Amino acid sequence: MDFFAQAAPPTFWNAPPGSGEFITKLVVSFVLGFALIFLLLKLPAQARRPIVVTVTFLAGLFYVLQWLWPQPVGREPGTLPRDGVEHVSFWIDDAVSVFGTISNVLSAFLLGLGVYSILRIHVRKLAKMQQDWLFSGVLLVSMLVMILFGFYDWHVRTFDPKAAEILLTPAGMPLPNKIFDLLFEGLLQQMDAAMFSIIAFYILSAAYRAFRIRSVEATILLATALIVMLSLMGAVEFLWNSGVNSAASNDPNSVIQNFGITNISKWIQDTFQNSSLRAIDFGIGIGALAMGLRLWLSLERGGVSS
Amino acid sequence: MLAELSSWRGQQYLDTGWFGVVFVLVLVAFILANIRRAKSGKDMYIRRIAGLNAIDEAIGRSTEMGRPVLMVPGLGQLNAISMQALNIFAYVARTAARFANPIRVCCGDAAVYTVAQEIIRDTYQQEGLIDRYDIDSVRFISDRQFAFAAGVSGTILREKTAACFFMGEFFAESLIFAETANSVGAIQVASSTQITQTPFFIAACDYVLIGDEFYAASAYLTRQPVLVGSLIGQDWCKLFVMASIFVGVLGTSIQMRPFSGVTVTEEKSKGNFKTIPARSMKVADAFFPQLLAPQTDPELTKIKRDPDPDAPKKAAPAGGG
Repeated sequence: MDFFAQAAPPTFWNAPPGSGEFITKLVVSFVLGFALIFLLLKLPAQARRPIVVTVTFLAGLFYVLQWLWPQPVGREPGTLPRDGVEHVSFWIDDAVSVFGTISNVLSAFLLGLGVYSILRIHVRKLAKMQQDWLFSGVLLVSMLVMILFGFYDWHVRTFDPKAAEILLTPAGMPLPNKIFDLLFEGLLQQMDAAMFSIIAFYILSAAYRAFRIRSVEATILLATALIVMLSLMGAVEFLWNSGVNSAASNDPNSVIQNFGITNISKWIQDTFQNSSLRAIDFGIGIGALAMGLRLWLSLERGGVSS
Repeated sequence: MLAELSSWRGQQYLDTGWFGVVFVLVLVAFILANIRRAKSGKDMYIRRIAGLNAIDEAIGRSTEMGRPVLMVPGLGQLNAISMQALNIFAYVARTAARFANPIRVCCGDAAVYTVAQEIIRDTYQQEGLIDRYDIDSVRFISDRQFAFAAGVSGTILREKTAACFFMGEFFAESLIFAETANSVGAIQVASSTQITQTPFFIAACDYVLIGDEFYAASAYLTRQPVLVGSLIGQDWCKLFVMASIFVGVLGTSIQMRPFSGVTVTEEKSKGNFKTIPARSMKVADAFFPQLLAPQTDPELTKIKRDPDPDAPKKAAPAGGG
């Protein structure tokens, strides 16, 4: 299995598998990465800040450059840049996926910390027989069993040449794969679906509270919501629109046609709903831009966490 | 001639693509200019935001009841949204620490969990109350949506949280959280950058920060000049966007002359104008809509470049081996 097949086509960021260049780049990356971590650990907290600020700025600068620097027009694989500007744009173009992968690698490390947090809380609860320790026991056993059978299943699917054949039907599956199938498809997926279906009942209770007539605003909300909901009911829509059509003497160009329930509902959605949502969208977008700028330029010195 | 397209004419600047870039740069300039103004000591006004005033009320209530304060930064990954949520939670944790209130921070992303743990611990340390910090108060629940929903709901029900703060990126689980918290009588302050979830929060929670109020929170709570300046800059940006919309609508209306009508004999297609039989003008033919919808002439992408002698004969499949 060639783990480094992604190293083609060659760019600044990779090298042919097994080559000296590949080994050199791998070693240099490891050394630089560990040196940076070691340095950060050894430095006093105050001295870490310039390093964090610099790394944050450089990481952000890359994406700013990717956005501002002329992106290569009509780039074909296996072609050379025409000049210095294109050298830079090709380099950025190639580096995008590499930069994206760095965050995935960091996330993978941090997932270990998350799992450690779960284990620490629940093992302690179990060991000290604290309140609801039984649930912690169920969680830990479920986690262990899922990991074991999950890895077995992954191993069979990845390395067994007959995987497609033996995993086709439950009858032909080896016992560990059957157990994994039961745990994942039979339990986890079903429990996910059960949680999702609970939302339907929650919508009912939340809607009841929201639509209670307490103020002018709540009354307007109730009236508009009622119209939109009625427009989605086939029978009501048919009867209402038929009545409007008769009143308009079946003339599709009559002004009265505007009072059809689908037209009123569409008007509410197009005029009020969409414009309000777009306004909120603009606000969120601009807020995210400002927040991103503050983080990139480290202007948010500590923020509220200082 | 087409092959001579300058390398400075990047893909994003072709046709009217430059407009979007320039527009965003103007917004950036507004924000940075206002941060500079605020830093120079200029007094700036921020309007009252009810949802943020409710934070102290919610913490006070949980102190009286002796029950924990729950904070959930959503299911999103570590990004500007979750960082803003954690900034708000730092303020909540600081106030809770002063009143010796227990807190629970439930995270659905391992990276957010790690940063949340650091921020909350720092907050307690800065208050000189590190002895009150419980390492298990910040928890990673699960990165699977409904397992996370079940975990947080379980925490709310078992610990009978008195105040709940849901801020960040929420999806279908938002209503599960809000209704579960409501069932235990918790006061809830929520905000989601996901527009589809905001109505659910409005229906089920006591206070909701809508849209950019979420980003205004840290400025409102701390009144730091940089944050206040940035917030005023955002307001300038919104005014600019509103003015642009007004100019666009007015300009397009004038160009289309709705009462007399305009006939066009050419239309823009793939970045070029071509002659067509006379027809009534559509909105897409007007100047402003075309400014916002850049098109690329396919001929422009045919650029002759030298082949790379080091390139492999056949590229590896996508996703590697």
